[in-house]
Amino acid sequence: MTMLSGCWDNKDINHRALPIAMGISYQNGKYKIYLDIPKVSERNAGIQVITATGDSVSSAVDNISMNMESQLDLLHLKVIIVDKTFAHRGLDEIVDSIIRSRHVSPKTMFVICDEPLDQFFKRINNPSNGDGNEIYDFFQKNSGWNPEIAYTPVWKVFRSIHSYTHDVVLPVIQSGETTAIQSNGSGILKNGKMVGRLSNEQTLLYNVFNGISLDGKIEVTGKATLQLVNSHIRHQTKLDNKNPEMYCTLHLNVIILDATGHPSTKEIKLELQTLLQRRLEQLLQKVQRTQADIFGIGQHFRNDLTRTELANWRTEYYPHVKINLKVITTIRNTGNLKLP
Amino acid sequence: MAAIDEVNVYFSSYPDFVHQKLQIASETFTIAGLKSLINFPQTMYMVRDPLLSAAINRLELLDIFTGLGQAIALDTNTIISEISDGMLIAVHDATGKVISIYPVPQPNSRSISLPTMENNVGGSNSAFNEDLNSNLVLLRSHLNDNDLRIKTYSFGNDKKNTVMLCFSEQTIDPTLLDTLTQKLEANLNTEISNLKELSSVFQFSKFSLVTHYMTHELPQNAVRAIKNGRAVLFIERLPFAIILPSLVSDMFITEDDLNHPPVFSWMLKILRIIGSLTTLIFPGLYVALVSVNPDVLRFELAHSIARSRLDVPYPAIIEALLLLGIMELIMEAIIRLPTSIGPTVTMVGGIVLGQAVVDAKLVSNLLIIVLAAATIANATVVGFQNSYTLRLSKYLLLILSAFLGVLGLLSGLVILCAYLAGVRTLGIPYLQLIRAKGD
Repeated sequence: MTMLSGCWDNKDINHRALPIAMGISYQNGKYKIYLDIPKVSERNAGIQVITATGDSVSSAVDNISMNMESQLDLLHLKVIIVDKTFAHRGLDEIVDSIIRSRHVSPKTMFVICDEPLDQFFKRINNPSNGDGNEIYDFFQKNSGWNPEIAYTPVWKVFRSIHSYTHDVVLPVIQSGETTAIQSNGSGILKNGKMVGRLSNEQTLLYNVFNGISLDGKIEVTGKATLQLVNSHIRHQTKLDNKNPEMYCTLHLNVIILDATGHPSTKEIKLELQTLLQRRLEQLLQKVQRTQADIFGIGQHFRNDLTRTELANWRTEYYPHVKINLKVITTIRNTGNLKLP
Repeated sequence: MAAIDEVNVYFSSYPDFVHQKLQIASETFTIAGLKSLINFPQTMYMVRDPLLSAAINRLELLDIFTGLGQAIALDTNTIISEISDGMLIAVHDATGKVISIYPVPQPNSRSISLPTMENNVGGSNSAFNEDLNSNLVLLRSHLNDNDLRIKTYSFGNDKKNTVMLCFSEQTIDPTLLDTLTQKLEANLNTEISNLKELSSVFQFSKFSLVTHYMTHELPQNAVRAIKNGRAVLFIERLPFAIILPSLVSDMFITEDDLNHPPVFSWMLKILRIIGSLTTLIFPGLYVALVSVNPDVLRFELAHSIARSRLDVPYPAIIEALLLLGIMELIMEAIIRLPTSIGPTVTMVGGIVLGQAVVDAKLVSNLLIIVLAAATIANATVVGFQNSYTLRLSKYLLLILSAFLGVLGLLSGLVILCAYLAGVRTLGIPYLQLIRAKGD
């Protein structure tokens, strides 16, 4: 008996169901759960979508577990998908319950779906798409992830719900026409509620601004297409009587991919600077209107404000934030061609 | 000559007992010995030649006779024991003087040859054998040092055996030497013919999982031990040097490493450390990851392991124990098998059995890989005693991992480290890497 005390409830890996994606939608006061479980079989035959409804996420998961032939193990869950209407309504409750339950890793990606989940799961699991792991591979940094896609794990969403000064964006996807999944930009999440949208290009800029070093492409209108090789950003802040100001220096290493009309490197650099400044300006105005601090600008002013003042950061200070962006570009490589 | 007659009676049933008269000039000598231990024709020539030339030159025969060997008392027991030791006994019939002569011995050992248990790359290849003298020859030729001290002890009352203690006066830890000689001298009456009896003389624990001594067949390893201040023991008829105490570094370092360029010698040491960790951890890690903590694996790996374990009826721990058991049986069987059929059985055991076990869905493919890796890695450490330690302690980790997963594996390693830290040999900690100052 003492020998069994530790291991009587251990289940071997082939007796566990390992879902890779979970869809959650909220309809008429009930949660509906979709679990995307790769089939464990000799021929590696595709994926199984299991649905259940319940009064809470955990009771719905329990329902599935009860009806399945193996134990449901959510620890390998990589993606949680919620539908758009649910995201507008607010995700704070399910994020709380996910963090609390400890069954789901806090590193799981949070994703918003642009279409009803029924349809989404039916279409991405079309056997012609592949082996059924597309939704998993799509968000893997070592396979399908692109810098135009936001990358937000559950713990960041949880942080944004409870922080005065930090909001997040979640990737928005839907099933694609020719590919399994199609990226539709990202959704701005403020205190767990979706309040606006960003396009794919804006998401790239958001990623660059947040210091994620990446290799996205930027088109400088009419002049050239540049590939980002490396980027880092430095911030300096100044608080001048309720008018927060931020000076950012963005260092970019780029490679020129296309050039039209023989532009000089100087022109390209100048164009890139104005382009990025204009885009950032637009992006900032947009998010300031929603009062969601997705760049975490407030983080830099935590030293200057008291806790009570910070509580009003989003409403009183954030709309007045000014960002002065300076772009220092190094054209590392002109694509094996000499530019004038 | 009652004593000589008693000796004759004592040995009368021995087919190898030789007892003959030797007449030189006017004197008669009686010569007795065991021809199984003595090369008689050569010895007789050796004895007769000086006596004859003395007779021709008209010298005093008795003086020459006493100069041939050592005079002993005319006593039955003394003579019997000398004869048993392989000495030639010569008696001058007229005076009753008894001389014990060191004869030309019958060869009773193989010649110095290649090591059988210990392989090496790039070092000297002549190995110790059963004969104490040739072992001493090897040791002396590898270590021509004035500080080399050799003490010989004769153990046992009825069943005698000789034990030789070698050390270097300069480097040996004096407290080690004291305890060693004290324990040896206090137990001179006990019989020592194997390592277990030696261990009981030194009062090593019977349940120790770690070897307290290393055995080496290659003289360079014994010499390294002497240079590093350790003691080397030879027991007659055991074809290796026993090195006291054994330290953890013996698991990873051998003298022959020094014959390689330093980078490669470090690489070899690191490989041995990796090997010992692999053999300890792999089976436990497999069980932990498969049955307790699959969440640690990447999803792709988890999925492929789950697929490889489809239809496997047993839990991972039973599966692993089953195959490990078979592996141990194979390893033990290989030692017993004659070399002519050994490879065949290994092949049947390794390939056919392994493949059949997988095909029969008794165990998963991955376990075969894990097991092969662990078994091969087990052989990387230096010294087979050390590989026994690893072989046994991997089961501790395996069982703890089955209960507690990765946490159990870790706590098993901690327990193992604590145990090793507690082992002492003749006052010297097993984990001693550098000798404490003042030693």
